[in-house]
Amino acid sequence: MIRTVSLCIFVLFFCCDILYSKELVTEDAYTVIDVSDGGSITGHVTCTGDAGAPSLDMYAGWELSKPSQVVSEKIVINRLNNGVRNAVVSLSNIEKGKKGVVPSVHPVIDQQMGIFLPRVTAILAGTTIDLLNGDEELHNVHTKSVRNQPFNFGMSYKQRISKDFDYPETVKLSCDIHKEYAWIVVFSNPYFDVTDRSGYFEICDIPEGTYELRVWHEELGKQEKEVIIQARKRENIAFVYE
Amino acid sequence: MKPKGLFYKAGFLSAAVFSCAVLSVGMRPTTASAIEIPKEVTEEGKNVYKKYCSACHGEEGAGDGPVSRSMIPKPRNFTRGAYKFRTTPSGSLPTDEDIYKTISYGVPNSTMIPWDILTEEQRASVVPVLKSFSEAFEFREPDAPVAIGLPLRPTERTILEGKKIYEEKLECWKCHGVEGRGDGPSAGEQEDDFGFPIKPFDFTTGKFKGGNSPSDVYLRFTTGLNGTPMPSFAKELSDEERWYLTHYVMSLVQSEECSKE
Ligand code: HEC
Ligand code: HEC
Repeated sequence: MIRTVSLCIFVLFFCCDILYSKELVTEDAYTVIDVSDGGSITGHVTCTGDAGAPSLDMYAGWELSKPSQVVSEKIVINRLNNGVRNAVVSLSNIEKGKKGVVPSVHPVIDQQMGIFLPRVTAILAGTTIDLLNGDEELHNVHTKSVRNQPFNFGMSYKQRISKDFDYPETVKLSCDIHKEYAWIVVFSNPYFDVTDRSGYFEICDIPEGTYELRVWHEELGKQEKEVIIQARKRENIAFVYE
Repeated sequence: MKPKGLFYKAGFLSAAVFSCAVLSVGMRPTTASAIEIPKEVTEEGKNVYKKYCSACHGEEGAGDGPVSRSMIPKPRNFTRGAYKFRTTPSGSLPTDEDIYKTISYGVPNSTMIPWDILTEEQRASVVPVLKSFSEAFEFREPDAPVAIGLPLRPTERTILEGKKIYEEKLECWKCHGVEGRGDGPSAGEQEDDFGFPIKPFDFTTGKFKGGNSPSDVYLRFTTGLNGTPMPSFAKELSDEERWYLTHYVMSLVQSEECSKE
């Protein structure tokens, strides 16, 4: 308990100077219960207006080989329905619920053509992520996390490094050589999802109650909505970034 | 992929250049063996810190002391437990001895002097004070120091093998430059974890911040420099290859620098 409290104080205190870190740190207190007839949330994250124009993060001009001159997209919007990809949706204040399962097959973040794939990964605390380099050139993987021990490794072609993420935290993973980055969002409970290419998400087996549903996107920011969950019912939620 | 023009580099590097570099410049003291580093913060430690360190490193260790303003590199911000010069793996906290060594040796090319005007006891006494600035030391332990194998003797062959690693396998030139001048294609706009600009080290100057002995250089690229873009290459190299790379990196030190010493 003392440890948890000091952890919390620590995080509150130091996250302030780390970009985005505090945004998605969920509460530590989480109790596992049996959820037999929970409700669920499906939803859609969209973006209207100017932010809808693709913002390109150009990286060019250095005399590196062709594959290094990448164009990565901070905001990916589906032209057909304005759906926003790679937004992280979570129940920010859930205190009890189903048991989270740490995947036995490690999620992979690969570096291909100089960019991280996928760009956003959401995981349950305790999950191991495999970092790969699929490019025939040097990359590095550098995190500045506070609660999870940070690291910075050089990665040659085909290198694979496994890393555990044990504490809830939003971690920016960067390659200093190519000024590229990705996000790893670690949760203390299994109630989260990342929107697909059409902007859809789904969270299920939620015990009855009232919750804060939160969406976070690296460029578009954070929004919250209250949702009331009823047994075996499905709530439909829409988030709109202007 | 090979950078253009890499092999047109003039002059072949001889073992002689290497040994010159090693012998002429100061060695980082290797042990603090005789000295006892206190575990708890003491009055003496607090006083030493206040008197000698806080002007730069700040009252609370945030690297924001009154004279730190226009300084580049900035005095270390101790609050995150990110220490550059360690014997421990990437991301790990340093050992007490690592911190003690840095205080005694100083950081060349910065305003951080070797604190040999202080007694060994005084230097040891500030170690727990520095650690107390970061909660990281309360909930993480330093990992075990990395193992350094028996040093190899530098020869033309080991330097050549090291050159291959530097230029082809690990592409250190992308940051440090083909000739080691810290001017590689990715050198511009590098930032440390605190958002301050940082330059890849210019090997030709020879004044290694973390010490000039082969084992110091070996440790720097094996453990990486926490809080900076300089990665750890521990996963990439066998012990032998690390010595090759050490020999090559040290051979980049310009001989003029040597004769000056
Ligand atoms: C004149 C300013 C100044 C004073 C006074 C000063 N330092 Fe520093 N110190 C620096 C700077 C600048 C750096 C960073 C150098 C770099 O990163 O290249 C530094 C770095 C360090 C580091 C490096 C840690 C690492 O491995 O990354 C330690 C430890 C340290 N100082 C301890 C001390 C202690 C203890 C004192 C007092 C006895 C002290 N310093 C006094 C300027 C100062
Ligand atoms: C992403 C860019 C980057 C790459 C790639 C890189 N370095 Fe560095 N390196 C740096 C930076 C930045 C520093 C300087 C940090 C400082 O001044 O505190 C540094 C510092 C060092 C130092 C420490 C020098 C000292 O002052 O003690 C050594 C040794 C070193 N690098 C070796 C290597 C080797 C060998 C490789 C290839 C295997 C390599 N580096 C690849 C960015 C890089």
